[in-house]
Amino acid sequence: MSSKSVLGLFQEPEPAADAMDALAAVGFERGTFDVLTGTPYPEGAFGEHVPQHRLFRFPAFGAIIGFMVALLFTAATQIAYPVVSGGKPILSLFAMLIIMYELTMLSAVIATVVGIIFESRLPNLKPGAYDPRITEGWIGVVISCDDERVRDAELALKSSGALEIKHA
Amino acid sequence: MATDRHSHTEVSHEHPSAPSAGEVVEDLVAATGAGVTFRRVAYILGFLAVLGVVGVIGKAVTVGGDTTKWGYVAAVMAFLLTAGGGAPMVAIAPALAKANWVRPASRIAAMFSLIGIVTSLLLIPLLVLLPSLVVEETRRRSVWFEAPVYSPHVWGMMALVGLTVTGLALFYASALPDFAAMRDHSTGWRQRWGEKLSRGWRGTDVQWRSLRMRIGMFGTLYFLLLVFTHFLISTDFAMSMVPGWRDAIFPMYHSVSSLQAGIASVTLALWVARRYGGLERYLHLDQFWALGKLLFAFSLLWFYFFFSAFIVFWYGRANADIAFLDLLIRGPMVYGFATAFVLCFFAPWWLLIWNRLRVSVNGPAAVAVVVLFGLLVDRVRLYVPSWSVPGDRIHDSYLTDIPATIWPDAFDILTIIGAVSAAVLLMLLASRAVPAVSIWEVQQMNLLSRPVQFLRTHGVLVAKPD
Amino acid sequence: MQQRRDLSQTHTNRVLLNSQLNTPSWWLPTVILLGIVVIIGWVVIGFILNKGLGVTGLSRPVFWGLMIVTFVFWVGISHAGIMISAILRLTQAEWRRPVTRAAELLTVFSLLTALLFPLIHEGRPWRAYWYAPYDFARGIFPSVRSPLVWDPSAIGTYLTGSTLFLYVALLPDLGNLRDRTTGWQKVFYTMLALGWRGNPRQWKLQTIGGILLSALMLPIFVSVHSIVSWDFAVTTGVEGWHSTIFAPYFVIGAVHSGVSAVVTMMALMRWLWKWGDFIRPEHFDALARLLIVVATGWLGFTFLELIFALYTLEGPELALREMQIFSWPWNVWFIVFLLTGYFIPVPLWLFKKVRNNIAMMFWTSILVNIGMWLERFFIVVPGLARKTPFTFAWESYKPSPIEWFLLGWSVAWVSFLMLLFARFFPLVPLFEQKESQVFTTNVKIGRASVPAIIREQE
Repeated sequence: MSSKSVLGLFQEPEPAADAMDALAAVGFERGTFDVLTGTPYPEGAFGEHVPQHRLFRFPAFGAIIGFMVALLFTAATQIAYPVVSGGKPILSLFAMLIIMYELTMLSAVIATVVGIIFESRLPNLKPGAYDPRITEGWIGVVISCDDERVRDAELALKSSGALEIKHA
Repeated sequence: MATDRHSHTEVSHEHPSAPSAGEVVEDLVAATGAGVTFRRVAYILGFLAVLGVVGVIGKAVTVGGDTTKWGYVAAVMAFLLTAGGGAPMVAIAPALAKANWVRPASRIAAMFSLIGIVTSLLLIPLLVLLPSLVVEETRRRSVWFEAPVYSPHVWGMMALVGLTVTGLALFYASALPDFAAMRDHSTGWRQRWGEKLSRGWRGTDVQWRSLRMRIGMFGTLYFLLLVFTHFLISTDFAMSMVPGWRDAIFPMYHSVSSLQAGIASVTLALWVARRYGGLERYLHLDQFWALGKLLFAFSLLWFYFFFSAFIVFWYGRANADIAFLDLLIRGPMVYGFATAFVLCFFAPWWLLIWNRLRVSVNGPAAVAVVVLFGLLVDRVRLYVPSWSVPGDRIHDSYLTDIPATIWPDAFDILTIIGAVSAAVLLMLLASRAVPAVSIWEVQQMNLLSRPVQFLRTHGVLVAKPD
Repeated sequence: MQQRRDLSQTHTNRVLLNSQLNTPSWWLPTVILLGIVVIIGWVVIGFILNKGLGVTGLSRPVFWGLMIVTFVFWVGISHAGIMISAILRLTQAEWRRPVTRAAELLTVFSLLTALLFPLIHEGRPWRAYWYAPYDFARGIFPSVRSPLVWDPSAIGTYLTGSTLFLYVALLPDLGNLRDRTTGWQKVFYTMLALGWRGNPRQWKLQTIGGILLSALMLPIFVSVHSIVSWDFAVTTGVEGWHSTIFAPYFVIGAVHSGVSAVVTMMALMRWLWKWGDFIRPEHFDALARLLIVVATGWLGFTFLELIFALYTLEGPELALREMQIFSWPWNVWFIVFLLTGYFIPVPLWLFKKVRNNIAMMFWTSILVNIGMWLERFFIVVPGLARKTPFTFAWESYKPSPIEWFLLGWSVAWVSFLMLLFARFFPLVPLFEQKESQVFTTNVKIGRASVPAIIREQE
């Protein structure tokens, strides 16, 4: 049994929100259909499933890794090549702190970016049904469903005022 | 308020926490009444304030003109300047940036300028004790290069009084419409008081324009004076008392930590007003959350300004650099420094980084207590060692003998408790004389923000007139 | 709050993607012209590397000259990006929208440019990798106690962070470009867009990620110029350098020059690409108000730096300041520095007419950067150039024509990179503009129509 992606296109947000309600009303589970827009809308504006994420764990994890690597790097290199300069201790915590801080932050930023991409479910190699007009202000309501339910989905989308239906 | 776009429809029901205009006036004027508990607390604070006066007199009688023993009085003066002086900025800066959340908090913030009265009184004995710029024909290092020898005395006091007067002017100017509300909606002495102080306020367009202009003008002036006062007090009453201490960032460190303390003071005062002043309907999560974010940012700035100075001294390793570290960080006040470091930076940073604590009413208030105590200790670790340098060493190029730790005596403790109590008492009394939450600003907030439905979700529509 | 204008998404796409979809006629000749300057610059750099630093004006006792000044200058300019983008994002300032991308981009390119100068100044840039702890075979590692090792770590972090920040915020617009192009361009943008579709999850992550990255980038931004300042401040041997105020003084100076550079760039963007609908006088007004505050803060720090230099009343320090302020020709440059850095632009910005006049803002912002470059010159060179005891050569430093050329070349290089970027990627974030259309409205209060914004309930 193969799965299909059905896209309904709307020019106004109100019928798109109606389509989301209609899909739920005909028995599709929230989470199996989604809304595509060219700009962010307030969360829940289309009555969509509010996505959960774990983005905040990424910078914390990155920072811990970065801090540990930096501590190791700053301490180990100074012990390995112990040249006294400026009368300061070989392990000068305050000097080490600066590099440790930078590497901690670097690692946190890289982890955050990885987190954003990962949690956005990117790269998305099989994007499903899509239309370039979405980035021109049209609103797409897209649903993945089994072949036999494609008809239900189309009906729900059309009855809400979809101007066009596309498949992928 | 009607929107001109179809997708934003107003919610038919009123926001449960948004009272009507009539209720706002009634509630907030009524909140100025003093109950039995209030009176009891006020009497206790009054008694403690009197003990503070006893403390200062006792100090004068027991140690006289020995400046090395007056460090704690200097520290509490600096602390009150730090905590009370910075607080009105909470009413000024976000208001200039047109932040909506600040409106219910701005009255309490401006009220803190009253603390300047206690700070100015505490400065008097210190002015008597502060050494002249030239002693035995030797001029000590100061920012008063060729100026008359009593310049620090005159300008320090003038700056502090100027700051207090400007703060009070801001407080009064922004309270005019509320005095008019008291005139129109209360009875007895409050009504007479409102009539006298509202100065014929009727709410005409000209009066509102003039009010906005005055707030902007006094606010800007207050900020400039605040930085100037911190510059003078921190250099004349701490830095120039220590030979060889040259620290260009110190006045800014003093000012920035004052803003940090000001945010903490306002947060704590709002929490008390909400918990015990019957103002739950007007002081919401919004205010505490926004203040929590600011407190977090300023706690990081505390560390930044501290470290910017520290790394330069630590790297310098010149005699004066080492003496600075020995006196103010790792010397007689090492525990004080460690405590201040933890309470001013580490604890607020670690606590407020958690959403659950930051996005709450009690979290930021608890951290505010931590920060305020930390800053009291910070001022002690800065001012007590500075004043402990003997008068005959003040002209040296750097400090050779680090003075021993000076612990507070009974009079010092009385002075600290008394001064803080007097400051709190003044705030409490002021909250009976004028609504602690500004009536007109709450009305304005309700006028400019409204819950709306946006398709299938709810939001708040915030209007922002220029 | 900015006045709302109804702009359809189609119109926004057409206007803001005009550089990618229909390259303007002036673009190619300008890029060719700048490209010629850039090539000459690289040849000159090659010449310096071949002949050695003797071709510059550097000689005893001034070994840090124009190249270090220009390095500090460009690091300063780089502070515009994160200052504008992160702070305004965190404070939800509506007027940030057309500014953020260009500001972030300026960060990336000015940092790249800044990095070049210490490399050339080193004389042997092929050994730059010695900064990295690479030499396990010989057991020689860089000393982390040297501030010169802190610099690469800070700038490396800032450059990597801002580039990633820029890329993440570009994703929705890359999706847009993918939808508007054909052929090799479509393939190019499809690969870069990573399959962006614009579903609620992606938008949520875009919003939260932007705020989170802003919060992470802000402390990095503060640390970078602080660390650059410590190159000077932790040194005791040069008068004028060993000052505790250097870190925040450098940061606020950087913000002053960086935000001014953004103003310059926005004016150019409005004129060159005809983006009058998006970059409007009210944006310049808001930036000018911000600049008044920043510039006044900067002036306060300048005052403190000077006061506490004199504070100790030590002979060498007093002599240095006397030379900087009163001796010919320093005195003239000192006056130019104060006038251009503060006393001409800021009083002008107090007038609304000036703030809303784009040509005036353009020229005053250029003045600021002339002043701020001079400020860096006054920090770096006089302390080294001044005659001190036991110094037997105290020739005043005269930058060679090559050094002056490289200073001018750096401007051409940054402009070249910006124009090249602008050919392939939008300089104004389209999705931010469109978001503004969704979230803002006008409301009636009495007879007045007031701009308003929808805030999501937490």
